[in-house]
Amino acid sequence: MSDAKIGVYVCHCGTNIAATVDVAAVARFAATRPRVAVARDYKFMCSQPGQERIQKDIARLGLTRVVVAACSPQMHELTFRTACQEAGLNGYLCQIANIREHCSWIHADREAATAKAKALVAAAASRVAHHVPLEVTYAPLNPATMIVGAGIAGIQAALELAETGRDVYLVERDSTIGGKMAKLDKTFPTLDCSACILTPKMVSVSHRKNVHLLTLAEVERVSGTFGAFTVRVRRRARYVTDACTACGACAKVCPVTVPSPFDELLGERTAIHKAFAQAVPNAYVIEKQERPPCMEACPLHQEAAGYVALIGKRKFKEAARLIRQRNPLASVCGRVCYHPCEDECNRGLVEQPVAIQHLKRFALDWARAHGVTLAPPPVAARREERVAIIGSGPAGLVAANDLALKGYQVTVFEQWAQLGGLLATGIPAFRLPRELLEEEIAWIRALGVRLETGVRFGEQITLETLRRDGFRAVFLATGRRDLVRHDLPGLELAGVISGSEFLRNVNLGTDPHPLGRVVVVGGGTTAVDAARAALRLGSPVTLLYRRTRAEMPAMRGEVDDAVAEGVAVRYLTSPVEVLGAAGRVTGLRCVAMRLAGPDASGRRRPMPVPGSEQTIPCDLVVMAVSQRADVASLVEDGGFARTGWRPVAADPETTQTAQPDVFAGGDVVAGPSTVVAAMGYGRRAAEAMDKYLSGRPLTDFTTHLVRPRNLARENFRPHSYAPRYADTPRAPREPMPRREARERAADFGEVGTGYTEEQAVREAQRCLHCGVCVECRECERVCEPEAVAHAMTDVVEDIPVGQVLLATGYQLFDARRAGQYGYGRLPDVYQGLEFERMISSAGPTAGRVLTRSGRPPRAIAILHCVGSRDENYHRYCSRVCCMYALKFAHLVKDRTDAEVYQFYIDMRAYGKGFEEFYGRVLEEGANVIRGKAAEVVAARGPLAEYGALVVRCEDTLIGAFREVPVDMVVLCAAMEPQADAERLKRIFTISQSPDGFFLERHPKLDPTATFTDGIYIAGCCQGPKDIPDTVAQASGAAARMMGMIARGQVAMDPVRASIVAERCSGCRICNNLCPYAAIAFDEARRVSVVEQALCKGCGTCVAACPAGAIEGAGFTDEQIFAELEGLLAV
Amino acid sequence: MTFEPRIVGFLCNWCSYSGADLAGVSRIPSAPNLRAIRVMCTGRVDPTFVLRAFELGADGVLISGCHPGDCHYAEGNYKAMRRVALLQAVLKGAGVDPARLRIEWVSASEGEKFARVVNEFTARVRALGPLKAAAEPVAAAAD
Ligand code: FES
Repeated sequence: MSDAKIGVYVCHCGTNIAATVDVAAVARFAATRPRVAVARDYKFMCSQPGQERIQKDIARLGLTRVVVAACSPQMHELTFRTACQEAGLNGYLCQIANIREHCSWIHADREAATAKAKALVAAAASRVAHHVPLEVTYAPLNPATMIVGAGIAGIQAALELAETGRDVYLVERDSTIGGKMAKLDKTFPTLDCSACILTPKMVSVSHRKNVHLLTLAEVERVSGTFGAFTVRVRRRARYVTDACTACGACAKVCPVTVPSPFDELLGERTAIHKAFAQAVPNAYVIEKQERPPCMEACPLHQEAAGYVALIGKRKFKEAARLIRQRNPLASVCGRVCYHPCEDECNRGLVEQPVAIQHLKRFALDWARAHGVTLAPPPVAARREERVAIIGSGPAGLVAANDLALKGYQVTVFEQWAQLGGLLATGIPAFRLPRELLEEEIAWIRALGVRLETGVRFGEQITLETLRRDGFRAVFLATGRRDLVRHDLPGLELAGVISGSEFLRNVNLGTDPHPLGRVVVVGGGTTAVDAARAALRLGSPVTLLYRRTRAEMPAMRGEVDDAVAEGVAVRYLTSPVEVLGAAGRVTGLRCVAMRLAGPDASGRRRPMPVPGSEQTIPCDLVVMAVSQRADVASLVEDGGFARTGWRPVAADPETTQTAQPDVFAGGDVVAGPSTVVAAMGYGRRAAEAMDKYLSGRPLTDFTTHLVRPRNLARENFRPHSYAPRYADTPRAPREPMPRREARERAADFGEVGTGYTEEQAVREAQRCLHCGVCVECRECERVCEPEAVAHAMTDVVEDIPVGQVLLATGYQLFDARRAGQYGYGRLPDVYQGLEFERMISSAGPTAGRVLTRSGRPPRAIAILHCVGSRDENYHRYCSRVCCMYALKFAHLVKDRTDAEVYQFYIDMRAYGKGFEEFYGRVLEEGANVIRGKAAEVVAARGPLAEYGALVVRCEDTLIGAFREVPVDMVVLCAAMEPQADAERLKRIFTISQSPDGFFLERHPKLDPTATFTDGIYIAGCCQGPKDIPDTVAQASGAAARMMGMIARGQVAMDPVRASIVAERCSGCRICNNLCPYAAIAFDEARRVSVVEQALCKGCGTCVAACPAGAIEGAGFTDEQIFAELEGLLAV
Repeated sequence: MTFEPRIVGFLCNWCSYSGADLAGVSRIPSAPNLRAIRVMCTGRVDPTFVLRAFELGADGVLISGCHPGDCHYAEGNYKAMRRVALLQAVLKGAGVDPARLRIEWVSASEGEKFARVVNEFTARVRALGPLKAAAEPVAAAAD
């Protein structure tokens, strides 16, 4: 170092530096600095003679270090390093002092600028003395490339890069390539049809063997470095396989239509669709958003949205079949399901949820009335294992059904004479006609399930006998029985009965008639059912409930029905004592209640009102309160702990009990719940038992357990069409037609008579199709090549590539933000792309220009610069609007009789053929008004005769305020960065300019590279531009990438960290600090080691090492201390 | 004559150094008091660099890097931010106004912001006056 001989070269840069900095003085000063052998100033150091000057000095004076005071090192560091290298001096022994960008260009005061330049030169000279030779190393470059975004830029680059014969990955998040250009009708100024010039390229790119099209794909992460990146790409499920022939049969049967994003929401498309006729890949795709909430809420995952949509299309048979496929107790559910689906229905956000349950009932009733056979799903190959199911309630029946479908030999044991468990004994016939239940149980029997009645678990059979008889697994679904748990005096009297026992007696026909006067105590479904059943048996009935109507757990409609039928309900009343004579009930003494603060369950606690006691004379007291599972027999059997509300301990996830071959589910585990929840348990248990019997782990269930509703709602994310709810016309729910209260109270026939076809269709059409795809599986049914795959899932792939080109394009400014133009508020105000779709012959109006009311407009206004060149939104010019506005004018003139008015600020016709085009359109008679439109309003008064809308503006050429009546307004909305540009910026560690577009390496000289080596940009993601510029930039970027591919390797900057083992204390602080995990600990030597290939040279570890053991090549502590000394020497 | 402070700037290569270059290319004038040192990332700024700068007579030190979340090396700027907080405590202990050390985020496209930061910080340090004879205590505090 001490013998270093430094040459200092101060550049004038013409007058760029010399005008502000006294370069000669700087050179003279430099000569006085330690170890400086020579200091010169020269007009252009970067020129050939300038470089040669340095080289000669190196040769003649034996310089060992060089300082060039000139422009930014980002500009010419490489130039001077190379010059030194050529003269035999290691390039890293040359240091740049930036006295142009950091000095002469930003300071006006010559004296101050010169002083600063001196300091910068002194710093460089003092630093360079500590430089050591560094060697650039080379790493192989992966010749594969990735292009993100497959609009015209991406396609063009892909075609260019394909010529190398190397792999090109073209990643597109849409289902088709083509980008915005595919939506355009004609292109300015030549008016060639966009599709005609684009689609051949799209097809061509799809034919290249080495171009891999990844549609529906998005980049999630990038790791590695230039030459060896690994890009993580998520490929969203298409739900259609490569077998698709694009015949389109699926779209014909799809019952769901949603607005088409390709047509800018002006047209509609089906859930299974192809974005447009020439889409590439030429295959259909299913749009699925969040799964429909109704389906998610159903413990059986019944495709509620699916059959509702089918009913809406009058496909009643298909609807019934769809229901039946997943639900063996379909009619039962259509009657008595608690329908959690309706609670989650998004239509409820508009006015009321869709009557999903009534529609289900309708479909099944329709099928029965029309003699449609509803075949069960296909049965899997026979399994010899025998499975026992205890209890034939909803949980047991569904488990039996599912296991039989999986091929198992299933026997169901039922303790009563009647099959169906609670369905048969607990639910009165006026809610669930017995023949329906029997019919559906017959379906299950038809699958080969043996159903044995009168067998009581714990008596005739036990786990031991079952195992002995060869049953390999047992499912306990014994349900519950309510135990009267009240310590009410008089409960022992004859004429006191529990609610469920009463219902069982009624349902099994074992009750003595007449009952006399009946009092039912309770507010749940059982209480209401019992009251209504007693009424039907001819008794006057009083229902006592200790809280108010609002707290009543029974379903509201059922309570209304009961009241209508004649049940006298007394709220806020609680029993105190059952009165009797001669061992028989004679009355019920009760007390009035009032509601105090909430109790532990959150409900308001009833408190007796002193002195309010009275007696209700009666002959029968039905206690329908508080239910508990009937656990006696299970406890005796041993092995099952009683856990609070769960009388049988089973894993709530797997339904498995402590004994691995015994499973349990339904009310016996969960406590009293609903029919459909029990069915869900049965389904889950069947899956668990199948896994158990097949020796698979009890994980990865395809059925899910539905969490409590309020929790599910918390997680619910509305789908992307949700904002449209506000616009959804209100349509109230179809009421269920029902028999007269008096008529129905006289028998056990059904209350509701079911929807008519018209009602059902009307009700079904209220569905908002919120998952978009409703999983009705109609497409699957009609697809001949069997390409539909609803179960498809996303795939995440790690793709190794050497270089990446971002061609992610732009989005349109949301013209709603410029509220004065009425976009989104006034019906015939459109933005440019919408109008583009309207005039496209393949668009929603087949190319006809029509107002929303279907009439041809008399005049159209085209407003330039909406969101562009506007201080409030974007200051930049979007560059294409003037020309496409003229194109619109031409097309309107060409195809309609309408007048066209252009409202412009300046007409920018800068491109090839643009000015000529402008002239031509003027000649065609387009009116141009110079002035930015102030606002668009609905026409009123005399102007309304000439147009529905009025554009107001100041005409700056004639200096007058003008009001122009038109029927249609087209807004030339600004091009702006994609909404997720920032996310991509982070992923690729590149930068954005203040306007949000990706930042190029140099605004003039390097428009396709970024500051991150190996990442390039092209097209509108870099800034607004037209198609020719986009294509040129894409080709340019591709050429850059090809150059690297041809070279085959990347130079690795020697600026990297290394650890001096002798100084390392082994503290490992650096190990976790490195963002690239490039530092590992060598256990043998007890020191940390930097993996050179992974280090990117940030120097964070160097700064953090407490022992000073890490050296950052090119930025050592010594070098920076020396730089500081020089910097502050002046 | 007004006091003209000498300010050392540690600029990260990817954002702030380029931002300063952009200020130059765009000819956005700023105070000549800042003298920049280029580091690859603000994470490289060793606390001793800052202390040494004061010791050598700097009146202020500016560390400028990429915006949070934008660091070319993921999180070097967060490390720098933490170090600055510690350093300011050390400076305070040594009797140096912690306002003489500032950390800022200037991206490669924020030439105007760079100039603004330089001007503001220069004005602030100018108002604080020269950092007198603090070399000894600062160096001591570093140990
Ligand atoms: S690279 Fe700019 S702060 Fe890390």
